Amino acid sequence: MQLIDVFPFVPFAFGLLTLLVPRGNQWVRILPILGAVLTLGMSLGFAAGYLILGSTETTSSTHPWIVGPWTAAYHVRVDATSIWFVLLTTFVAVPAIWAAWSYADASRQRGFMFLLLTFESTLLGLFTAADLLVFYVYWDLMLIPVFVLLAGYTGGAQARRAAWAYLIYNGAGGLVLLLGVVGLVLVTHTFEVLGTSFALAPALQWWLFGAFAIAFLVKTPAFPFHAWMPPTYTQSPPPLVAMISGIQSKAGLYGFIVFALPLFPDAAHAWAPFMLGIAVISILYGAFAALAQTDMKTLVAYTSLSHLGLVLLALFAFDVTSYPASILMIVSHGLISAVLFIMLGFIEERVGTRDLFAFGGLAAKAPRLQALMLIAAMALLGLPGLSGFAGEFLILVGSWQTQPVVTAISLLAIVIASVYALRLYQAVMHGPYRVPAGAPSAMELRPREILVVAPLLAAIIFLGVWPGWLTTKTAVPAAMPSRPAAYEVPHT
Amino acid sequence: MTQIAAPQIDFGVIAPLVALVATGLLILVIDLVSRRATRRMLYSIGIAGCVVSFARVMLQVGHPATTFGGAFASDRFSWAFDAIILVALAVSLSLSLGRDAEDGASPAAYSSLLVFCALGGMIMAAATNLIIIFLGIEQLSLALYILAGTGLGRPASQEAALKYVLLGSLASGFLIYGSALLYGASGSVALTDIAHAAASPSMLFITGFTLFVVGVGFKLALAPFHVWTPDVYEGSPIAVTAFMAVAVKAATFSVLARFVYVVFGHDVPALAPLWALAILSMIVGNVGAIAQTNLKRLLAYSSIAQAGYIVLALAGVTGSGLSTMVFYLAAYAFMNLGAFAVIALVGDGSESVADIDSYRGMFWRRPWVAVCMAVFMFSLAGIPATAGFIGKVLLLGQAIAAGPWGIAMAVVLVLGTLVSFYVYFKIVWAMFSPLEDGASAPAGNALVPCIAVAAGVAGVVLMGVLPQLFYSLFAT
Repeated sequence: MQLIDVFPFVPFAFGLLTLLVPRGNQWVRILPILGAVLTLGMSLGFAAGYLILGSTETTSSTHPWIVGPWTAAYHVRVDATSIWFVLLTTFVAVPAIWAAWSYADASRQRGFMFLLLTFESTLLGLFTAADLLVFYVYWDLMLIPVFVLLAGYTGGAQARRAAWAYLIYNGAGGLVLLLGVVGLVLVTHTFEVLGTSFALAPALQWWLFGAFAIAFLVKTPAFPFHAWMPPTYTQSPPPLVAMISGIQSKAGLYGFIVFALPLFPDAAHAWAPFMLGIAVISILYGAFAALAQTDMKTLVAYTSLSHLGLVLLALFAFDVTSYPASILMIVSHGLISAVLFIMLGFIEERVGTRDLFAFGGLAAKAPRLQALMLIAAMALLGLPGLSGFAGEFLILVGSWQTQPVVTAISLLAIVIASVYALRLYQAVMHGPYRVPAGAPSAMELRPREILVVAPLLAAIIFLGVWPGWLTTKTAVPAAMPSRPAAYEVPHT
Repeated sequence: MTQIAAPQIDFGVIAPLVALVATGLLILVIDLVSRRATRRMLYSIGIAGCVVSFARVMLQVGHPATTFGGAFASDRFSWAFDAIILVALAVSLSLSLGRDAEDGASPAAYSSLLVFCALGGMIMAAATNLIIIFLGIEQLSLALYILAGTGLGRPASQEAALKYVLLGSLASGFLIYGSALLYGASGSVALTDIAHAAASPSMLFITGFTLFVVGVGFKLALAPFHVWTPDVYEGSPIAVTAFMAVAVKAATFSVLARFVYVVFGHDVPALAPLWALAILSMIVGNVGAIAQTNLKRLLAYSSIAQAGYIVLALAGVTGSGLSTMVFYLAAYAFMNLGAFAVIALVGDGSESVADIDSYRGMFWRRPWVAVCMAVFMFSLAGIPATAGFIGKVLLLGQAIAAGPWGIAMAVVLVLGTLVSFYVYFKIVWAMFSPLEDGASAPAGNALVPCIAVAAGVAGVVLMGVLPQLFYSLFAT
């Protein structure tokens, strides 16, 4: 039994402890944050080797699990790729759970915290799973905490309906993935598929990649599979949406990087035109849709579609520059969307509405809120010096090498990004001060709230100033790169 | 003129059955001679008989044997199925403890009928020739027809019994007619001899087999022979419904599995009707469950779909298929018995509290009951870390490897599962709905159903997290 074996369960264990605390006791708030911080500490411990020593060694542990018609093992690991997802998860979970102090009425706070911590556990399990069955277990298991949070802990009828959109879309994606996983295992006879080359027949690869891709695109989400996203993001309480948008939306991209691309390299190239098409439509559709929103959370939700489309573009451009940039973009988007959703939560809490036309001019009353919101909005816009710019720029530079046409079209979204980001910021902060009747007069951020978002903003600035710190530490996966073919992508 | 020699009887092989016969008779005799025999006492005797029989089955595991000239067998087609039937019997007897007093059925008659019903199931699991199979099915069915009607105070129960007996006799007709044709085609009632005829099937054989499948399909509630299921499940007393859902399926699947493995031994085109029934059941069961608002009816449609899933274990007729079937049946037993135990617990002896509406906001009043019910629903939907998930992975693997029919079934299973997400999560969704003022809380709190629920949760989670324990148990 090693530390990595129990690592994904740490938040869950703290969640269980929280349930034991008597209702209304202050430990209901302290225990979850303690668990999240401890998990962050553990993940930093795992990361130390990669970040400081520059080692690429894998921390891994395997226990036999099922031996039947096929074998599966409880195989967990962090390596130079998955560590970034683990770090993102633990880093975003702390502010999300801290922010959750305000978002559940006292009688339901224990369950709320338990479900958030359980959600974090399933995400950590997903990002540490090296066995395909273990990966799949977490892939579907995360539906439960989110469904229950939406159905039982938000109160609104709309949120309860959003639970269905979330469940049915993600459940459908998961079942398609299940077909693909079982189909693959019938050939390999094991769920331990990483690091082995199976030389699958191209036709089989094509089908399996298709099944994996649909599931991954639903979870991300990308263009035709995104219908669950606006209601879910809009109706979720801020801590939950910070985790869904900041972390869970990376699960599908992680699946591409770690499973689909290395396992089905030929099919990945065969599917590339289709995937690039989805990427570019997501990028543009997300950007244009964001322009049209009047609900501030829905607006940010659509920007997610646009930005994660860029990551898809980076992955399927098969370029040695765009690939590490995709990880940078993933981390950056996780930080930016988490901080935005948490801050929008603070604002909604104060003004009591999400409608951009219903209030404005908060800058006059809340200079600190304005300053922090400005950084977040500029990061969303892609201002140089912040992480959003670094990711986008490197992706576009890289993708231009292999996919100039698609990249050129995607550039349009960068322009639109300034429009929606500035519109969001202006509508909230500038103009004459007005709030709906009945809103409290204190608009300024409380010290706790500043501390909640400060680490996220600091990380956004750090990665914006020094993106190379991250890009030089990401491992290039076997599937892509060693093919010089990266520069002569086969068109099928 | 052939001389008939009385075959040697090995009582060790039929000891689990003998234990049940003795239990059933003991219950009747005690009721006859003692005026002070309480319901609790009689049911406890039944449960004790279960335990003895179960222990005897476990001793047999790994030591295949036959008796009555090969007509009865104790082998891998019977052990696990026997175990499931006995667990269902024990749970069903325990759930009956809190029954409505106004039901009015005599406790002795009721409990001995349940025991004899389980006996019929175990005869089916042990039967290796058509006559014993029919004997077992009739033993099971006749007892069950009466049990369905033991809710004497409720017309729905009478209606259930009548529907069941009418349609059930028709199905028995199909079964016996099919058996007769199979006998005609092969010249023997023993499955091993019928296997010779199956090598080059005649029209007679195909017709006989198809009729046989119709009869079996009725007992399994496979579509399109399922129309009785919702009404009978809803009308029967809850403990009988639980038994019906689990034990009858286990017994009938043992017959089907033995027939397919012994007679065919490998995938043949003659099995196509079976695959078609499976596909139809998965569609009808899951789609039919969407509109249900009564939990017993919902679980009836669910059991139709699940029966379709379980048929997938036979796809390809491969060596691992039987282990897969046993695993899924065990998972099915845990999650269904658990769910019925929750309904019994919440209803507190009354049959009326089975509407989804009475589960609205359940989590905020009785969190533990709601969480347990949610676990059973997750397992039925095949969410990971539950028994239902591993079962589905095994079934999918079995089916996809089996060629075009198998792949078609796998795809339908996945689509059906998606539909079933709505069905099962609807209950979870209702349990987490906000509390409404003035709504009365169902307050059943009896100890025995609580134990059954807890055991069900333990089984579902254990099979989901450590499936190896169960998978290897009967894999010999």
